[in-house]
Amino acid sequence: MTEERKDGPERPGVLLPEMARHLFGRPATQRYPKERIPVPKGFRGRIEISDEHCIGCSKCALVCPTDCIEMVADEREVAMGKRTVHRKRKPIVHLMSCIRCGLCEEACPTDPKAIYLTEEFSGAYAEKDVVVE
Amino acid sequence: MPEVEFPIGPQHPALKEPVSFRVLVDGERIVRLDLDISYNHRGVEKGAEGREFTKALYLIERICGICSHAHAMNFAKGIEALMGVEAPPRAQYIRTLVGELERLHSHLLWLGVLAHEIGYNTMFMYTWRDRETVMDLLEEISGNRVNYGMNRLGGVRRDISDALRARATEGLRGLAARALFYNQVIREEQTLLVRTRGVGRLPKDRAIALGAVGPTARGSGVDFDVRRDDPYAAYGEIPLRVMTSEAADVFGRVEVRVREIEESVQIAIHLLETLPPGEIAAKAPRTAPSGEYVSRYEAPRGELVHYIRTNGTDKADRVSVRTPTLANWLSVVEAIQGRVIADIPVVVAAIDPCLSCTSRTTFVEAGTGDRSAMEWDDLVAYGIRYYRDREGSP
Amino acid sequence: MSSVLLALYLIVFPGFLFLLGFAWFAEWWDRKLTARFQNRVGPPLVQPFADFVKLLAKEDIVTEGVSARLQGALPLVAFAAVATAFLYVPVVGGSPFGAPGDLILVLYLLTLPTVLLFVLGWTSRNVFARIGAVRAASQLFVYEVPFFLGCLGPALAAGTWSLGDVVAAQSGGLWTVLLQPLGFGVAIVALQAKLERTPFDIPEAETELVAGPLTEITGRKLAMWNLGRDIALVTGAGLLAALFLGGPTIPGVSVDGLAGAALGFAVFLGKVLFLLAILAAIRAGVGRIRIDQLVTWGWGVLTPLAIAQIALALVLKGVGWP
Repeated sequence: MTEERKDGPERPGVLLPEMARHLFGRPATQRYPKERIPVPKGFRGRIEISDEHCIGCSKCALVCPTDCIEMVADEREVAMGKRTVHRKRKPIVHLMSCIRCGLCEEACPTDPKAIYLTEEFSGAYAEKDVVVE
Repeated sequence: MPEVEFPIGPQHPALKEPVSFRVLVDGERIVRLDLDISYNHRGVEKGAEGREFTKALYLIERICGICSHAHAMNFAKGIEALMGVEAPPRAQYIRTLVGELERLHSHLLWLGVLAHEIGYNTMFMYTWRDRETVMDLLEEISGNRVNYGMNRLGGVRRDISDALRARATEGLRGLAARALFYNQVIREEQTLLVRTRGVGRLPKDRAIALGAVGPTARGSGVDFDVRRDDPYAAYGEIPLRVMTSEAADVFGRVEVRVREIEESVQIAIHLLETLPPGEIAAKAPRTAPSGEYVSRYEAPRGELVHYIRTNGTDKADRVSVRTPTLANWLSVVEAIQGRVIADIPVVVAAIDPCLSCTSRTTFVEAGTGDRSAMEWDDLVAYGIRYYRDREGSP
Repeated sequence: MSSVLLALYLIVFPGFLFLLGFAWFAEWWDRKLTARFQNRVGPPLVQPFADFVKLLAKEDIVTEGVSARLQGALPLVAFAAVATAFLYVPVVGGSPFGAPGDLILVLYLLTLPTVLLFVLGWTSRNVFARIGAVRAASQLFVYEVPFFLGCLGPALAAGTWSLGDVVAAQSGGLWTVLLQPLGFGVAIVALQAKLERTPFDIPEAETELVAGPLTEITGRKLAMWNLGRDIALVTGAGLLAALFLGGPTIPGVSVDGLAGAALGFAVFLGKVLFLLAILAAIRAGVGRIRIDQLVTWGWGVLTPLAIAQIALALVLKGVGWP
């Protein structure tokens, strides 16, 4: 392991053998966007809200570290398990402040989650104040 | 040529983050070096005062991108100590594992940066390619390549499945072979040796006197590592070897870091193989009792200190962060004495500077642009006045 | 040669237009090889041309107090110098401009850009440019002697100062590199220093001096300077190919007419690309050294080797070789 080992002579160009190997090999570069390597499961990407599952409990807004979730008035009958809940509010997310920590997803009590992080990682927007709802 | 003032920074290709060196040179020889580290100050310590612990954790994590887990874990374990909460063993192991993986990717990044600073771009490309193994692993474990968000008060947020453990161990074994290879390269490549041997001398007594920490100090023979000397998380139970070097120059620091790469790979493999079963988090209360705590952590760059004071609420009263790079800057000013311009990028890169961690405020006179800093006595007097105005006389 | 053919040689092939294309092709070859050595993909074929066009479109900024005419003229003069030097390099056979002593002329023209670089850096009101200019001048003193001595060897062996005659001497016998391998090594390393490529890119050490003498050069001027640098690369490689590897000839092979020219060009191309590959390997394979280390090593190792090679060549000449 890290015991003193025998070193070769001091010379320039120690990496030349490896360079020669790579000359005719395949480059290590991922040729994005032509080649896309899929992200692992559980990757924390762009946030999405599922309007039909949200019961308006506001737990996500309370727990968000950057306070980027705003609760706005929006009434809807939502099915939760066997019950039907009359929700009064729903969250909207100011995307430019979202740090994708996933605390909102952990706090959300519904199943399936009404607010969740997708695996979408690319996204460029033309406006500064993008809102997800 | 008479003496010339030569600015490095705040914008310069040698720097990854803004810092300002005003160098006075006579030909190529450096006469004086002035340092200004205020460019990345963001008021994080103040921001942490007004937020609940669970939210402040995410702010503290983002002090730095490369040592993000160091800051988050240091803060989390400090708050847990104040609350009297102990994270379960599996959580401690997972935290340690992410910490060692972070040390790996930070050192590999640094090795590439050092190669780039001396124009050795081939090694830069190779080390960063090998670093991708660690980044992909961290992405699988935590969901992101930096700013992992793995910590919560009382433990960790995500578990590691057995399949992931197997994959990770395999990837790390491949990396172990590369680490051995790089250890060989730094000892044999002549252009690297002539640029690092004898450059930036920092004798052991000066390293201690200037407060250097981490690989910067260990490269000068100072045998101190928080993981061994003040253990936390899983470090008390796992085999650990602290690497030092007697070279006391840039090569010594290079040697220490490359050997730490090898050692971190071995530690990570050991952690994966001996991961204890159990819960991944303990329940933490919402508020913390009044108290103060000094939390220490061996970040990739050295000893990281968080001072936390709580007052019985769910927000911290004061968080003070002393990062390792802040402690290492004076050693740069000393080590560069008498060297030439060409040595500046090498000596600066050798402490592995992280400006985002370091920045302190400076005072600028708006009209003239004069910069100044407060002396210790002024600061004490200012502090007394400030708190007297805020809280009334004792 | 008739004046129409001469004009075509000068302007089209292997003169000006061909030279432009060849210089960009050589830059691509160098960058692509470097990238493959580093396990990367590398740029597409049109990249150097695209960079040139992009720079032409950029704003031309001149610092206050700096003579815009001088800064604009220097890259053009440097380009003219190296382009003229290329005219004397044998590409398809002896150059029609060849004359006794044209080796000296080529060496002189190749030295000119470095001197102009020094002036360019010195007259920019920029501390990085000044320090870079001084380094460029210091480096000039270190590598010029070994480079000239290295090029002297083949001239001694062939007994002439004319490039065309040196090539002709090799086509009848052996390539000079077989008799003077030491000189070949010295000349290649000194050429790398002349072109200011790693490990000798000290004047333009980007992690120390931003861009060295070229820090204040933008837009068209930078485009012309880069083009001049590429042409210097091609001219230097072509010069070494002519001196050491027999230029466009193969020993014992002699084909006339158009087929002969085509064969000569193909041979020339192969040798130049081979030399460029060696230069790319050196560039990718080592790190940058300091100027004081270069001075010590240049005078302590490189020049003595060059002198030793000259002594050896004289001895061989004395006993009747080649």
